[in-house]
Amino acid sequence: MITWLTAPLAYGFMQRGLLASLMVGILCAVIGCYVVLRGMAFIGDALAHAILPGIAIAYLLKGNLLIGALAAAVLVALGIGFFSRQGTIKEDTAIGILFAAALSLGVLLISTIRTYAVDLTHILFGNVLGVSTGDLWLTGALTVLVLATIALFYKEFLVISFDPVLATTLRLPVEWLRHLMLILLALTVVVSLQTVGVGLVAAMLVTPGATAYLLTRRLPAMMAVAALIGAFSSISGLYISFYWNVASGAAVVLVATAIFLVVFLFAPQRGAFWQWRRGRQQAVLERCAEKEH
Amino acid sequence: MQPAQLEIEHVSVAYNGQPVLCDVTFHVPHGARVAVVGPNGAGKSTLFKVLVGLLPWHGGRILIHGQPLGHHHDCVAYVPQREEVDWRFPLTVSDVVMMGRYGRLGWLKRPTKEDHEVVRRCLEQMRIADLAQRPIQELSGGQQQRVFLARALAQEPHILLMDEPFTAIDITTQETIMAVLDELRAQQVTVLISTHDLSLAAAHFDRVLLLNRRVIGYGTAQEVFTQKQLMEAFGGQLLILGEGAVVIDQCCAPEAQRRSRA
Repeated sequence: MITWLTAPLAYGFMQRGLLASLMVGILCAVIGCYVVLRGMAFIGDALAHAILPGIAIAYLLKGNLLIGALAAAVLVALGIGFFSRQGTIKEDTAIGILFAAALSLGVLLISTIRTYAVDLTHILFGNVLGVSTGDLWLTGALTVLVLATIALFYKEFLVISFDPVLATTLRLPVEWLRHLMLILLALTVVVSLQTVGVGLVAAMLVTPGATAYLLTRRLPAMMAVAALIGAFSSISGLYISFYWNVASGAAVVLVATAIFLVVFLFAPQRGAFWQWRRGRQQAVLERCAEKEH
Repeated sequence: MQPAQLEIEHVSVAYNGQPVLCDVTFHVPHGARVAVVGPNGAGKSTLFKVLVGLLPWHGGRILIHGQPLGHHHDCVAYVPQREEVDWRFPLTVSDVVMMGRYGRLGWLKRPTKEDHEVVRRCLEQMRIADLAQRPIQELSGGQQQRVFLARALAQEPHILLMDEPFTAIDITTQETIMAVLDELRAQQVTVLISTHDLSLAAAHFDRVLLLNRRVIGYGTAQEVFTQKQLMEAFGGQLLILGEGAVVIDQCCAPEAQRRSRA
């Protein structure tokens, strides 16, 4: 068993891959709690796809792909904030327009590259085993930056998420904080590109948070549990990928989904199974008002 | 006449070019308790949102303590209608009440012992100290209303605005709120409450503001609740019976008002 666990660590690419997955798993899960609570799943997905043109341009210019992605993500995050700010267009409509346009531009640019299919697959579904030491440092730095910002602005983010009206009456800069959160989300999506890719980032953002929501009653606990689930799915997904030779990003997401399903069914009190049982008990008790219990 | 604590002069508000409030003028003296009454869509919520700086207004001016709105930071607290927030959020009752302190805390600061003390006191004042660690998703409507009021008290405001606090709550909660309002009067806090309940407005408030897009009447309940003015405010929703009895047909907020809240 121990050799089963340690054997992959003999490879440098696996060490780097595990470390990157671990950071991404935790980061996505923590910011994902806000994504779940604020209903931003669609934005997360849109940001991920909108990054494509940035990557394509960086690729064509032979620059750093992550930096290209970063620039595109921040631009799109601010664009979404700008278009939906005045309330002239609904936010999800603004996102839909930008998301489709950016994705199209990305595919268009990438289709000019000769090795189109392979590169697109890596971008769409991640290539965690191709993480370089430089990528690892950048991932680490961005992870620390995003997590530290979430911790520093904890109470401000909490108020604008729960009650933006109160936030305004407390004279907090609500718009500014909303943009900051979008930028943090954009950074997270960029960091996740290496491990799970554009197509699966949304799952890493939403699934651990949604699972933790069913298990906890306060936001700090929800974040901690989500981080654990994110970390566990990332690591175990990578092992599955190593031993069964399957796509790593997909394996990570499926582990997280499996955990979610188990929790959804069996979470104490809130699980579907207990609710079903409680409902049936109620029905039985009502049917015969005798000492059935 | 005492110096006015809250002065609203010739204020108009519009949503997308449609006027919602026209040329509203009234003065609220120091520590007074005012009921804001009017049919659905009369602009009661709009008026409150203007007073806390959530909506812009046209023309005129709003003065608090003789200073323009926005000059005082923590002076006005607003208790919104309960359905304006998502009660499934993973927070405890004391987490929500602590948010009332955030305006005073400032950036990067964590709540101090004093803030926790204020939160505890406000919870006790609302008789919900036993619910402090309860997740908010388990609260009843009346308990939610108490949590919101406790949060507003934690802001230690000079002016308290409450939007429909008496809608669909139990009688104990209503009594608790009335008791707290009496305590606030002792502390000279000015209170404005919008309500559908005209008899409550007449019985427990110093002044009544009868509103329907503009001020129809402002003064004591006896001065304001005349057949003519009620007719003017409520129009077709009013049924005049013999011997001066008046019936107002109004139960749920219509679609238009719900949309204006969104």
